Amino acid sequence: MSTTSQKHRDFVAEPMGDKAVTDLSGIGYALGTKLQDQGFDKAYAVLGQFLLLRKNTELFAEWLKDASGANSKQAADCAQCLSEWCNNFL
Amino acid sequence: MSLSDKSDNEIIELLAEYGIKHGPIVDSTRKLYEKKLKKAMDEAVVKPSSDKTYYREEEEEITYVTYHSPVRNEAYSDTLKRRVITEPDEEEELEQDTEPPIQSTRAANHTTVQSRQPIKKSGGCKSLLIRLLLLALVAAFLYYVYCCMESNPENPFGHLL
Repeated sequence: MSTTSQKHRDFVAEPMGDKAVTDLSGIGYALGTKLQDQGFDKAYAVLGQFLLLRKNTELFAEWLKDASGANSKQAADCAQCLSEWCNNFL
Repeated sequence: MSLSDKSDNEIIELLAEYGIKHGPIVDSTRKLYEKKLKKAMDEAVVKPSSDKTYYREEEEEITYVTYHSPVRNEAYSDTLKRRVITEPDEEEELEQDTEPPIQSTRAANHTTVQSRQPIKKSGGCKSLLIRLLLLALVAAFLYYVYCCMESNPENPFGHLL
């Protein structure tokens, strides 16, 4: 298992509040812009989608790939990030 | 009718039908589930090829049966089967009597079957039947002995009381 990024640790360390979608691990500027175009401008909106998919990381990663054109690594990072955040704060 | 034309409820029913776990079907999740469904449906379409093997097995069974029926003395095999079916009943009746009669009937059946076999000369099917018959007889005998052993301890108490 790969070590988590600083971005991941920062995100799962505290409530997400009003953080931008680009604060999610695996979501950079390019993917963030595509997600914003679809209405997912905040991290909590993406969290909402994650919860709609019943916190299923595989389904979520698949959705993220479809929705933003993320690669498998980026999608898995983001799913892992949200999954851990849910474990900590939900 | 494509998946995208179906209502959310129809999608939910289909997902359940294909055993796909799902959350709520809303605009943002629907496309994903449609994709999953399409994949599952494609796999289900591919599956019948594996079903074909089942049909083949059935065909084999059918040919197996028809292969046996042309054997010359069909009527005889029927009677033999009937014997197999009826004999256990005789045994059961006899089991209620004492031990020796069973041994005698077993020997009698054994000899009759053996004497008939060489006359008819019909394949391994009947010898198998005979073996099964013998096995059943031995099993019945052992069961009878076992029953006697079970009931014996009770008798002394009956005498004491």
